[in-house]
Amino acid sequence: MSYLELLRLAAPEAIVVLTAFVVLTIGLVTGRREAGDTPAATAGLGALVAALGLAIAAATIVRLPGHATLFHGMLVVSPLNSLFQVIVLVLAFFTVILARGERLLPNKGEYLAMILLATVGLMLLIGSEELLMIFIGLELTGLSLYVMTAFDKASQTSAEAGLKYFLFGSMASAFTLFGLSLIYGFTGTTSLAAIGPRLAEQALPPLLFVGIVMTLIGFLFKIAAAPFHLWAPDAYQGAPVSTAGFIASGSKVASFIVLGKILLIGFGPVSGSADWHGLIAGWTPILAVLSALSILIGNLVALVQKNVRRLLAYSAVAHGGYTLLGLIAGGRAGFSATLFYTTIYAVTLVGAFGVVGFVRRENGGDDLADFAGLRARSPLLAGCMAIFLLSLAGLPPLAGFFGKFYLFSTALRAGANHGLLWLVALALFGSLISLYYYLIVLKVIFLDENAQATPAVARYDFEMRADYLPKMTLLVLAGAVLLLGIIPGTLVARILASFG
Amino acid sequence: MVTLGDYLFVSGLLFTLGFAGVLLRRNLIIIFMSLELMLNAANLSLVAFSRFRTNSLGQPNYDGQVFVFFIITVAAAEVAVGLAIIVALYRARRTTHVEDINSLKF
Repeated sequence: MSYLELLRLAAPEAIVVLTAFVVLTIGLVTGRREAGDTPAATAGLGALVAALGLAIAAATIVRLPGHATLFHGMLVVSPLNSLFQVIVLVLAFFTVILARGERLLPNKGEYLAMILLATVGLMLLIGSEELLMIFIGLELTGLSLYVMTAFDKASQTSAEAGLKYFLFGSMASAFTLFGLSLIYGFTGTTSLAAIGPRLAEQALPPLLFVGIVMTLIGFLFKIAAAPFHLWAPDAYQGAPVSTAGFIASGSKVASFIVLGKILLIGFGPVSGSADWHGLIAGWTPILAVLSALSILIGNLVALVQKNVRRLLAYSAVAHGGYTLLGLIAGGRAGFSATLFYTTIYAVTLVGAFGVVGFVRRENGGDDLADFAGLRARSPLLAGCMAIFLLSLAGLPPLAGFFGKFYLFSTALRAGANHGLLWLVALALFGSLISLYYYLIVLKVIFLDENAQATPAVARYDFEMRADYLPKMTLLVLAGAVLLLGIIPGTLVARILASFG
Repeated sequence: MVTLGDYLFVSGLLFTLGFAGVLLRRNLIIIFMSLELMLNAANLSLVAFSRFRTNSLGQPNYDGQVFVFFIITVAAAEVAVGLAIIVALYRARRTTHVEDINSLKF
């Protein structure tokens, strides 16, 4: 093992870190003002460099060798990890472009650097199969996201949202850490691949089971499963819009992949069973209960929300519940269904938050009332939002439909004689409820009149002021959601092939 | 003779105290200190495990001690970020009490 080898395999992460420093320097050198906006040229240059760095990192990942393992799994290069590192980089790329539109943020360079650092954390989370590195990735991601959430100093709610996110997040990571210490203590190793066999060969001491549950708490917090979801509505509503989008997309994808790896590789021997008639103690029944709780709480509370970002947050809780179904079903099929669903969900939510960002800039708010008559002001944004929301509701032919179909059918086939039927039925009931609140948003967008402005002038204003590039991004995202719904096979085949 | 169980008991006690502090206290700075206590409880149990899980030559399992060094560093970073957020909040609201931080709800 030479350092040259290390540098070659860790090149994508290194490139993103270097880009973060360059962007930070650009922000510092060119005009950092006490009040007001970052100069347009600086923001543009910073965003360009950030986007370029992310693209180069993605290109480097593609050129990595197929399989490699460094330091007992601290850094693992495998087709699965590479695929999802590229997906996270793409999500970060979209976030950088959408952040360009946020004119009100001061110190844009620092904001972009934080996005890049969070991305490095996500890449480490995905690319590691060792407890220490997973913890560090978790913290790097978390700390960057807390800062990004509290970044908007002009807003009353941003710092509050950041504080709540920080307090809940640190508590969850303290739980995870304590759980990890117990797991390390009873198995004597920190490598996921070695933990599995050790768990299989001994009867489970109670403290070790406590350790497993405490470890799970931290990750369930990250994916906002009920009852660990309390931070999500506040963070989604108070944070800058692009941050909320990144928390909902990139952070969630990485958390699901690392949660799946920990559960299926590390804790595989103590999975248990959540079948209706054949309950066996383990982590599966716990996840099943939390999944059911998330689906119920998320969908029911979303019904009464008046703020679109809060509505998306509660629906995110419900979607977290659906996505857990795949992990509960277990095995290669279940894991790939989970990964497919979370990827589609991430793409959809980045787009939905992009639209929210436009509306917020125009109307100064993101309550339902601010979306009234969006169709008249900008048919393009209204159309994109319709695609995103209908995909979230799971209507064919959009990507969300196929994702749900794949997920639910896998869960149904998993247990002996349809043991998971109760959970699948609950999930179907949940999606039915969700259709109602997504349609309410669409009704406001398409049918309600905007009381204030005359449409012709307002529309001209809106179209002119909105940036060209973020708009194109939204179109691309909407196109991706449509395309993945019509030909889902390409992505599914890629995920399945990457398990190798 | 102090056994592994004793260390784990103290570590569990520290963790519980920290958790209780986070749940019950109303001042942000004290909540913050309680969070650090929870991290240090994990440190203690890691070091204890490292000392008592010896290999065949009687050497401690050093993985746990390395883990602790990283946690100390991460905790320092967490303090920096946390205090910065508290300062930002104080500038906006002039308060460090959790009851006053309630503009986002339900």
